Amino acid sequence: MKILVAVKQVAALDEDFKIRADGRDIDADYLIRDLNEWDDFSLEEAMRIKEAANTPGDIEVVAVSVGPASVDESLRKCLAKGADRALRVWDDAIEYSDPIAIARVLAAVTMREAPDMLFAGVQSSDHSFASTGIATAAFLNWPHAAVVNMLNYTPGAKTAVLRRELEGGLLQELELQCPAVLTIQLGINTPRYASLRSIKQAAAKPIEMLSLADLHLVANDVGESGSSSRVRRMYLPEKGRAQLIEGDVATKARRLAEIIKEFRGQT
Amino acid sequence: MVATTTRILFETFGATEVRVFYAFGWAAIAAFAWGVYVQIRKYRRGAALTLEGSLWARSRAMISMVLSHRSIDRRDAAAGAAHRLIFYGFTLLFIGTATITLQYDFLEPLFGIRFWQGEFYLIFSLVLDVAGIALIAGLIHMMIRRGWMRLPKLDYARPDRSPGDPDFDRPQYRREDWAFLWTLVIIGSTGYLLEGARLVWLQGRPDVWDTRWWSPVGAMLAAGFQEVGLNAGGAAMLRHGLWWFHGLLALAFIALIPYTKVKHIFTASGSWLARDALAAQRLPRIADSAAQPGVAKITDFNWKQLLNLDACTKCGRCHEACPARAVGAPLSPRDVILSLREFAHATLESGVLPDAAELDVHGKGPGQVSMETLWSCRTCMACVEICPVAVEHIPIIVQMRRKLVEDGAMDPLLTKTLQTIHKTGNSFGESKRKRGAWSKALPFTLKDARKEPVDVLWFVGDYASFDPRNQKVSQTFATLMQEAGVDFGILYDGESNAGNDVRRVGEEGLYEVLATSNISALAAAQFKTVVTTDPHSFNTIKNEYPDFGGKFEIQHYTTLTRELFRNGKLRVTRPLKYRVTFHDPCHLGRFNKGYEAPRELLTLLGCELVEMGRCRANSFCCGAGGGRIWVPDPVGVEKPAQNRMKEAAAIPGLEVYVVSCPKDLTMFEDALKTTGLEGKFVVRELIELIREAIPA
Ligand code: SF4
Ligand code: SF4
Repeated sequence: MKILVAVKQVAALDEDFKIRADGRDIDADYLIRDLNEWDDFSLEEAMRIKEAANTPGDIEVVAVSVGPASVDESLRKCLAKGADRALRVWDDAIEYSDPIAIARVLAAVTMREAPDMLFAGVQSSDHSFASTGIATAAFLNWPHAAVVNMLNYTPGAKTAVLRRELEGGLLQELELQCPAVLTIQLGINTPRYASLRSIKQAAAKPIEMLSLADLHLVANDVGESGSSSRVRRMYLPEKGRAQLIEGDVATKARRLAEIIKEFRGQT
Repeated sequence: MVATTTRILFETFGATEVRVFYAFGWAAIAAFAWGVYVQIRKYRRGAALTLEGSLWARSRAMISMVLSHRSIDRRDAAAGAAHRLIFYGFTLLFIGTATITLQYDFLEPLFGIRFWQGEFYLIFSLVLDVAGIALIAGLIHMMIRRGWMRLPKLDYARPDRSPGDPDFDRPQYRREDWAFLWTLVIIGSTGYLLEGARLVWLQGRPDVWDTRWWSPVGAMLAAGFQEVGLNAGGAAMLRHGLWWFHGLLALAFIALIPYTKVKHIFTASGSWLARDALAAQRLPRIADSAAQPGVAKITDFNWKQLLNLDACTKCGRCHEACPARAVGAPLSPRDVILSLREFAHATLESGVLPDAAELDVHGKGPGQVSMETLWSCRTCMACVEICPVAVEHIPIIVQMRRKLVEDGAMDPLLTKTLQTIHKTGNSFGESKRKRGAWSKALPFTLKDARKEPVDVLWFVGDYASFDPRNQKVSQTFATLMQEAGVDFGILYDGESNAGNDVRRVGEEGLYEVLATSNISALAAAQFKTVVTTDPHSFNTIKNEYPDFGGKFEIQHYTTLTRELFRNGKLRVTRPLKYRVTFHDPCHLGRFNKGYEAPRELLTLLGCELVEMGRCRANSFCCGAGGGRIWVPDPVGVEKPAQNRMKEAAAIPGLEVYVVSCPKDLTMFEDALKTTGLEGKFVVRELIELIREAIPA
């Protein structure tokens, strides 16, 4: 039995970042990379299911990520936390893929691995599309549930019982056919700590590389041509023009009158 | 006549009686030997450890400590004096008895040598009589401490268990203490009675009777016996009975040594012999071959640690000194040691080793240590420093924490902090690039020691780099150095958290990453000496980096500034007339004995220094050590820093509470507010006082 966990290496902004020359992303020099926070929870959920089983050895937790070599660091973290295997899919053609194209890749990996469950995070902290997991379910034509904050599942079972967070504090309890795709919400568990020692040991474990060909995909399935959206530009909005007027009432009134005049171009 | 005077041993005993006595004697020796074997087998079940340094030097240090009783005198001179009486009394009596055996059972039958007579015997009698008095006096003092003075440190109630828990106050320890004291008192006093009875019995023999005042206590008792009408015949019977009672009790005592607290005679000496003078300052590395980090099972402790457990005499000094215990945290270093001792006793003394599952020392069961207890420790070293028998608590606690870290069994805030440090190299989660940003406010440019050689490389540390309040102190220190004409620089973002506290949390892997990164940054720079304003960084760079190949000359800023004053580079122009007290930071004081420089500086500045009761080696931790600065203490209960503020507030007219550690500044300024003592006095970093005394 197998649980596949799709993870992403996200980027966080360092101090004083710069926008890339083409204006569509941040200059990579200014990004600090780490495993997406949501994925910490979905991996933990898979690990817990494995550890709670009667024979944990029969359950395989496989982490998969789509990305360049730098992503290995995040996959190592998954291995350090106990994942049995790690897969990384990359091809230069994948650059500029949107979540739909990534989902196409993930669906192909899922077909190849044939897991009993696919977990993904609700969203990624950098781009926040919240669609990769669900789009993967669509490609697979599998049942899915989003924003899962409680899960009751025994590997091999035909169904899983889970709870979802809805708007307005509502909760929904759901019974779902397996295999299925679940996007996992923060707080469903407490992710374990990957000690540096375990990360170092994980460095010795192999990360399996998959190419597009391995997944029976072609370059057109991914990248901009395989995507349904494309980033036009990324920018910081201009600073707001609010200002705080200080002083006594008379000063404030005078200043306010001035501003109104300035605004109307009367000065 | 005097020349043949000697001790009467088996006179009037029938041959069978003597044989019976020897049978008991051999049985006692056999029981003793078996007990010793079981104990040694227990220690050998611990992990291997090779001691550093020569055995000769170690033995000399141990013997000097045992004979001088220095460690027992500390902070409790009365206990030291009483123990000294017991120790020397017991030792002399033991040597006396051993000499009798030596002559009676070996030298005389084998070689016909008799030395134990005449004047030698008489002087011997006198010495032993005095020794007996010393022994009994010491024992009685110990009884008074337990029974009447009821010293709180001798109360075995534990802060980490609640009443009702079978392990709560360990009444069996109390019983054992009393049994031990009484047994020795009875052995000692029956010895005297025996002596008195013997004298009355043999009053007709001039060689015995005329020399009786060489055993004055016996002689007095003999006079007393005669007074109440005991005659020679009665005395003979009394002596006979007492002889057996005294003899058997003494043999039983010997037989029981390895099974009772009496074994501290050997275990405490062994503990001193194996002592590591840097136990707290330089934590052990994890061998690359180790299957898992830290201690999970009792057998993961090394033999010396298992010996340490048995050396503990329950004196309670560490219990008394522990800041965590003082504020009611579920930790007493004494109880950690005693729990593990009970655990080792229960699991490692039988012929076969139990299953691995039964050797797990983590948890809440009998003898196990809970994670709440382990996480309460601030690795302040107060326990290690005061222990009279060289128990090294900190490596024991940290090695257990290493296992907790590996399992992720820690406060989520701590997990976050460790992840943050891994990601950014600092505990503030700030960008690496901003590490030197505080220096932008200076009117001059701080040299970048990565790019140009400097005389002094200043290792700034996390708090002094990122905490806004401490950044001000850093700016002041930089200005002072500049004014004193020191050629200095910093590593900017080449510096990472030094790792001292990360290591004490038990995250050894992360520590290695930090240490090696700093070591390579330091090694790539050109400088003569390192200075740091942070005692935590000071400790690890000085004592621990060498184990990772980083040998750098380093000093704390207090010694460097003292130097600058001494050679006139800095001069006080406006003496301060403050009444101050000084808080010794754990890592500067206890850890590295930097007691004098800050005090000399305060005197130089013109301050009047009034010491707190707990100062120097007994300084009271601010509560921030061992990673506890990253995990807030529970609300509603007193924090160590608050406890300290109250202590300082008791100094009449105190104006400034002086610290010389960034974490102290943070902790105490906060505690001053929360204790409502704000306005009574202020907390200042010594650097700020120096600035005040040398107005720019
Ligand atoms: S190091 Fe300090 S806090 Fe920890 S047990 Fe010892 S005395 Fe207590
Ligand atoms: S560990 Fe040392 S200081 Fe603490 S109670 Fe035992 S002997 Fe005393």
